Parts: sequence; C-alpha cells; structure tokens
Amino acid sequence: MNATPARPGFVAAAFESVRQSLLRVVHRRLRYVVLAYVALALLAWFGGHAALASGRTEGRQLFCVVAWWLLGTVLMPWSALFVGIQVVHGPIEDRTFQYLFLRPVPRPALLLGQWIAASIVAVVVSVTAACLLFAVVAARPGLWPDGLDWSLLRTFAMTLAVGSVAYCAVAAFLGAWFRRPLVVATIFVVGLQTLAANLDVSAGLRRLTILDPLRRLVIAGVEPDPRLAQALWPAERDPRSELVGSPLLDLGVLTIVCLVFAAWIHARTEYDSRERE
Amino acid sequence: MTESGVSPDDPLLAFDRVTKWYGHVAALTDVSFRVGREIVGLVGRNGVGKSTLMKLSAGLLRPSQGNVRVCGLAASSAGARRVVGFSPDVERLFEELTAVEFVAWMLRLHGWSMRAARDRSREALSDLGLAPNMERRVREFSKGMRQRVRLAQALAHLPRLVLLDEPMTGLDPVVRGEFADTIRALPGRGVGVLVSSHVLPELESFVDRVVLVHQGRLLAEGRVADLRERVPSRPHRIRLRSSTPRDLAARVVTWSQVRGVDVRGDTVDVDVVAEPGFYEALTELGFAWPGAIHEIVPLDDDLASVFGYLVR
Repeated sequence: MNATPARPGFVAAAFESVRQSLLRVVHRRLRYVVLAYVALALLAWFGGHAALASGRTEGRQLFCVVAWWLLGTVLMPWSALFVGIQVVHGPIEDRTFQYLFLRPVPRPALLLGQWIAASIVAVVVSVTAACLLFAVVAARPGLWPDGLDWSLLRTFAMTLAVGSVAYCAVAAFLGAWFRRPLVVATIFVVGLQTLAANLDVSAGLRRLTILDPLRRLVIAGVEPDPRLAQALWPAERDPRSELVGSPLLDLGVLTIVCLVFAAWIHARTEYDSRERE
Repeated sequence: MTESGVSPDDPLLAFDRVTKWYGHVAALTDVSFRVGREIVGLVGRNGVGKSTLMKLSAGLLRPSQGNVRVCGLAASSAGARRVVGFSPDVERLFEELTAVEFVAWMLRLHGWSMRAARDRSREALSDLGLAPNMERRVREFSKGMRQRVRLAQALAHLPRLVLLDEPMTGLDPVVRGEFADTIRALPGRGVGVLVSSHVLPELESFVDRVVLVHQGRLLAEGRVADLRERVPSRPHRIRLRSSTPRDLAARVVTWSQVRGVDVRGDTVDVDVVAEPGFYEALTELGFAWPGAIHEIVPLDDDLASVFGYLVR
C-alpha cells in the first residue's frame, strides 16, 4: 500500500467542512430561504405604496418597522435556525454522518465548519435582504423629507448579521442535541425567548436571549425617537439607550457557550446507537 | 512500527471480550475474534448485532466493556480511522454532490490535497465501473451504482482494514460477481476485510473464514468446512446418483443412520441422522455392489445450512 498523507489538523478539517457544507446548502436548502425573502420584498413594496398613499409614515419609520418586525424577529431567526439545523442535524437525520465520523478528523472541527457555513449563508441572505428592503423604501424619495439615512441600513445590516451568527450557534446546539431540533427551536423562539425578552429591563434573564441584545443594538444604532421606539417595542417600558449595556458581549458569550456545548455533544454522542432510535 | 504508528504484527482487527449495551439491552456479549490479512464473513440474522459489531469496528460506537483495536490502536482513535474503510448499510449518500465530489471530499478529510483527492476518487470510481457516470449527481444513481460509490469511498484512501456492511444488497448478479472479484483482490495487497451479508452462498464463495453471530454472542468462527465438522451429530442430506435408484433407496432406507429417502429420477436424496457409520456403510455398499453409486453430493455443506444447524 502507498503511504497515505498526514491527517488534516483541526483548522484544515474545519475549512473543508465549511467548503463542503456551503456547497451542499447552496445546492439544496437555499431556495426556501430565498423564497421567503422574495415574499418580504413584495411586502415591502406594497407597504411603501400604502405609506406613500397615507402620507403619515416616513421612510425611516417604514424601513425600521419592517426591518425589525419582519426581518429581525421572523425571517432572519427562522432562516438562520432552518439553515443551521439542516446543516448540522441533516446528516444525523439521514445517517450520512457516518461517512464524516469515519474520517480521522475531530468531530468538533466538522461541527465548527458546519456552523461557519450556515452562518455565512444566513448572514449573506439576511444582509442582502436588508439592503434590498432599504433599496425598495429608498426608491420613493417622497418618504424621506430629510434625505436618505444610510446609518439605518448600517445598523440593521450589522444587527441582522450578528443575529444570524448567534441563531446559527443555537441551531448547531439544538441540531447536535435534540432529535426534533426544529420543534425545540420553535419553543425557544416563540415561547421562551419572547417571554424572557419582554421581562422588565432589570431582568438578567433577558441577556440569555438573542432577541433582547439585538433590540438593544438597534436602540444604540438609531437616533432617539420616542415614536419609533414605541413602534418597534410596544411593550418596552424604558427603552433608554443608557440601558443598552454590552449586547455584542452578551451575544458573543451565548454563541460561544452554544458552540462549546454543541461540540461536546457532537464529540461524545453515539448518534447511531439504538438507544436513540 | 510504520509511520502511522501501526505495527505490522498486530492483527488488523481485534475484538477482546467486547460487550455493548444499549440501555438495558445487550446488543453484543463477550465477543472476541481477530481479523488478519484475509476476508472474514460476518454471518447472522437481522437484529443479532452484526451492524453493532461493524460500527464498533469502525469506531462509530464505543464498547461498554472490552476492547476493539484496529492495527493495535483503539478503534475510535483518529489513528485507527486513518486505516479503516467502512461501507455502511446506509441508503443515503450526499445526494446533491457528484460521485467524484463525494469521494474526493472524503479523501480531503483524510488529508489528501484537492488535486490528488479528485484524481484518486476518479481512479477509485473507475475501478468499480463508474467511469461513465462519476460526474453525475448521486441522487440520479441506481441502488447498485450507490453501492459502488459506497465501496469507492471505503477503498479510495487505501485503508488496511475494510469493513463492508451488507455490500451485496441491491446488486444484480453480474455486478455482484465484479464486486466479489474486487473484494477478493484486497488480501493480496495486505488488506483485511470483514464483510457482513445475508446472501450466504455468495459470501461463502469469497470469504476465507466466517464469524457466526447469534443473539449478540459469537456462535462460532472458522472455515466453513471446519465449522461443519464441529456439528457431526446434525442431520445431513446427501444426494446419491445411481442407475438403479429404487433398489439403492430400498437398501439404504433400512440403515439405522438413515431417517428417510426421496427418489427423483436417477437420484436418491438421503436424510442422514448420524454421519459416523453412514459413510462406512456406503463404502461397503459401493464395494459389494459395483456401479450402484455413480456420485455422492452433500446437499447441505454450505454456509447457510451450517449456520442453520448451529443456531438450532
């Protein structure tokens, strides 16, 4: 037998996992996500028409409300969770993980690569959607009496990008641990996170959500505007910017904790054990 | 030791008193055997622990007790995974990739460069007769083609131990023959093979030894002929060809070792209760009655029959 090459290190294995996972996602899963965003663009288009006709809503408010409520709380979380869970849990579900786990590379490297791939897809899709939405609203100069506010696009693009990465980490954790990760993701997003994020400002539990740090990022990014704040967070009693804290740090901690647990589970779990079947 | 840390003297696969529990259920109990540079068939009914044994060998599962070692290394170690090729009994592949992309990806995870991985994957797929289709997506492949892709990914990285879980499933007879030829050539290159199959006659045609598993325990191991010798008291069917079959049957049926006879054309199928004594009597008959027996054919010396007797 010929000598085989030295086995790849952690970084090389993670890189290969990113490359192949991206290839698979682009081939397979992306069409559903893109369809959802096309629906959003259409909605924004008609929203712009309605706002222009009513004459009461400004472009700033229209963009922020649609970007937050549709992109920030619905499409971005769900597309990031969907792609992340499919990338991590898909091979476990259809048992093709066996081909990957047979290779002389650490399982956490494979998982890290899958998370990076899912994050890249989710970030590109959600930031592109924010740009398209901004373009749709910006295309109506009548909605911007004070001129275009590019800082809004910057704020929301960053918020959506950071949120996508964090939701993909949650997806990696759920995908590695649970047999029905989408069900658990639904419980997390619709139930636990929504409840915790709407607790009192002083509640530390809010930091364990993704929704609340993202909301605080937007508060810090947009100009103080009580009317806009009311439109974005009707239940918020005290949306002052000095209470923002360190949302990036909170999201970073949450992301790392989720990834560490996911990697640990991935490395130890016997996914093919009859106990799981 | 070689550069991979593998000693050439170690058995390629060694199970040492391995037990595997799934919760309160013992899937394997106290199993020990070795595989060297040979082809070993793993035989057992569905659900007796064959796939568990394969996955333990591949390092996908860890034993609850005992040790599984590949070339002297723990089966779940990265060093062992370098030298093992496994074709699992999993229907799906990475459907959206082409056959070349899929095999090359697996090679990349073994440390092959991009170009070398693609070249080697083309070579491995061509060796298995997939050259005309290897740039097509796997989702367009038939069952037989998928099976060959599975074998290609198991062989492409030049492993020292190849594990094949039900590799004949879904293959037509011609491809089965080619498949068997491919596997038969491996020990000549220093590769050990453990292959499970429920198509026992085919398995028998190319394995050197068999390991029989039943209800999670190792029932027996060895060459098929040797195993048959271990069960001398089992009933046995023998076909005698004769120009006077009725007369022959009338003589033979009176022997105490014979339970019954069945005459069809020029043949007499004899149900033998106890082999010792029967062949001596048959030899004496042959001397006393020249020309009465033209041919003696054992009907159940095959692997399936031996396995059936052992299980009973």
